Amino acid sequence: MKAIIGLGLVLGLLVILPAAQYVLAAGDEAGEYLDRRVEIWGLFYRLMIVAFTIGTVVSGTIVWLVLRFRESNPKAKPTEYEGSGEW
Amino acid sequence: MVLELQKPRPIWQIMFSTHHTDVGLLYLITSLAFMFMGGALALILRLELFAPGTQIIADSMTYNRIFTVHGTTLIFLFILPSASAFGNYLVPIMVRYKDMAYPKLNAVAFWMIPPAGALIWLGFADFTWYAYPTYSVISAPGPAADMWIFGLKILGVSSVLGAINFVVTILKCKHPDLPLSKLPLLAWSYLASSLIILVAIPTFAAALLMLLTDRLGATGFFNPLMGGDPIAYQHLFWFTFHPEVYVLVIPAIGFMYEIFPRFSRKPIFSHSSGVFAFVLLTIVGFASWAHHMYATGMSFTEKTVFMVGTLAAVPASAMHTFNFLATMWGGRIKFATPIMWAVGGIALFFSAGAGGVVNSAMPLDFITHDSYWVVGHFHLFVMGTILFGTVGFIYYMFPYVTGRMYNEMWGKVHFILSFVGTVMVFFTQHILGLFGMPRRVYDYPPFPEWVQMNIIISIGAFIIGISMAIFLANLIYSSAKGKPANMDDPFGLGGKYYFPYQAKNPHH
Amino acid sequence: MKDLENGKMSGHSNWPEWVYVGVVIALLCYVGAEAWNIERIVEHVPADAEVIQVIGQQWLWTFEHEDGTKEIGELHVEKGKAYKFEITSKDVIHSFNIHDYVVLLDAVPGKINTVWFSPTDAGEFPIQCREYCGLIHYNMRATLIVEDKGA
Repeated sequence: MKAIIGLGLVLGLLVILPAAQYVLAAGDEAGEYLDRRVEIWGLFYRLMIVAFTIGTVVSGTIVWLVLRFRESNPKAKPTEYEGSGEW
Repeated sequence: MVLELQKPRPIWQIMFSTHHTDVGLLYLITSLAFMFMGGALALILRLELFAPGTQIIADSMTYNRIFTVHGTTLIFLFILPSASAFGNYLVPIMVRYKDMAYPKLNAVAFWMIPPAGALIWLGFADFTWYAYPTYSVISAPGPAADMWIFGLKILGVSSVLGAINFVVTILKCKHPDLPLSKLPLLAWSYLASSLIILVAIPTFAAALLMLLTDRLGATGFFNPLMGGDPIAYQHLFWFTFHPEVYVLVIPAIGFMYEIFPRFSRKPIFSHSSGVFAFVLLTIVGFASWAHHMYATGMSFTEKTVFMVGTLAAVPASAMHTFNFLATMWGGRIKFATPIMWAVGGIALFFSAGAGGVVNSAMPLDFITHDSYWVVGHFHLFVMGTILFGTVGFIYYMFPYVTGRMYNEMWGKVHFILSFVGTVMVFFTQHILGLFGMPRRVYDYPPFPEWVQMNIIISIGAFIIGISMAIFLANLIYSSAKGKPANMDDPFGLGGKYYFPYQAKNPHH
Repeated sequence: MKDLENGKMSGHSNWPEWVYVGVVIALLCYVGAEAWNIERIVEHVPADAEVIQVIGQQWLWTFEHEDGTKEIGELHVEKGKAYKFEITSKDVIHSFNIHDYVVLLDAVPGKINTVWFSPTDAGEFPIQCREYCGLIHYNMRATLIVEDKGA
């Protein structure tokens, strides 16, 4: 569990470091200011890629589950709880 | 069953009853009435927004009043009471007790709702369901504003009394042979949401009182001209209402914990994960409130703290999703109406949550704050998850309450139309928000993208409206003339008990 | 997955759930880190940003430049320069929003909120209010006019 959180933090850092380098190098004089639009929409698109990837996985799983385990599926068999009738 | 329409009981017997099933029925009918009323208001709004310019609403103040009452009604007069309805029915059964801990208090808590609803509807305030000062103090017209404040005060008290009843019933009145760890997850959902209510509501009660005295000119809590701070209200409001949105969703998740295992013909994948997730959400839900306030001028550190608090609550919801999917895995699922609603609800719950994770990223607030993205996001929760879960459970409980079956085909039609409509409306609203359309606007400039998307959204809204009309007809007709249900197994699932709790409860 | 169905009704969950939760947490850490970083760099106001006071009131926007020039309903700025908005309100809470430049911050009475930007495209861009403020909230608009240097 801790390993997984640690892994997450490391991954996060690996993202910040390259970005921080870019920013520290960015100029602060006239004509070289940061463009808010680019930064913020860039973040938005990156997060959308993550969200839609996970979304595809989750929705795909739901669709597969619904089709595979519906009672009308030819491969459907009774669960082991149906014998006793209580679940 | 409590609603045997062909041999009706005298209405005063139900109205004066303190028995939990009767109080539950009163909550259910009241909440459904408000659901249809609040939904109708939405259709009026969507008709107006169908195109730029004025359609059917003559002036912007009327429009503002309509969206305020729409939101207030559906949250406080539909979602919360409908959760209480099923809680009243089932919690005593689930803990194997004869009634709620305080039956008379239970009835009192219910009877506060109609007068509060009347205050809200007769007043028709215009300041949005947030009622932010300084607008609500110096600019919102009375007596509507004051009636709204009183209405919400009463509803807050009703909520707290109901919550006390649930907590005491579950913790103190449960059968001695039933350990907490074996309590059904639906009962846990009532315990969790009631505990949140007890901690969160008093803050808003204070804020309402302060708003009222500010309006009367006696105080200046939120008025800068008198040394006050309008942002203080927002902290108090959201400290209550962020946890409150978990109060709204947790019972709906609880309903899904009943539906998924039963229709999959196997037990829930992990009961203890469900308990853990509810408890985690109850606690962590209090750590994120000011993510609603990113645009108010908070410092970078403050915003970061609340972003972390927001993200910390996500794993709990992720666990519930996993639990439901893992329950379906390996099952033999009968896709009757209730589980269709539950599956649709989980799919939309995920998309709402994904949008929420995106929202928690502070810089993205510059794009999305107070735009239609936010409207789309929260409606995916309240409509997509909560209403879907609640309606699915209403279909599931229909034979229990009325002794009859609803019409299965129309139930499925209702689901399909609602699902299509919900996606059309609320997914599109996300995109509309990205294109910059603000929320709470009576009219908009004719930017081509805004115009096109508003048309799609309004059409989707009417598809939902049609589906709800079908629902109403199904409910009424089937209550009176539906086929009598096999009370041991109305859905033909094969289990011995429709409600396993029933057979083990000596009082029922 | 067969062993998951056998008798694991209550008690601990199996490894798929742990892996799943781990992946979720890792993704959330990524989201948090990215957001923190972008916010940090976006909030860094350049030292030479020219101050523009923005005053919201029911239901119009007024602007005051550093040199004392006042504008109502229109804001002229120069392409390529950095500007810092000091935003406040005279009555109720409004929210100053130039959507095309991703500028958004509440105008709160009794408080001054600060946000900066640097316009890189010439042209006219809508300014709108993004916090409900009553009757004409829906039409509390202005125009940002970005002019080329020397214009």
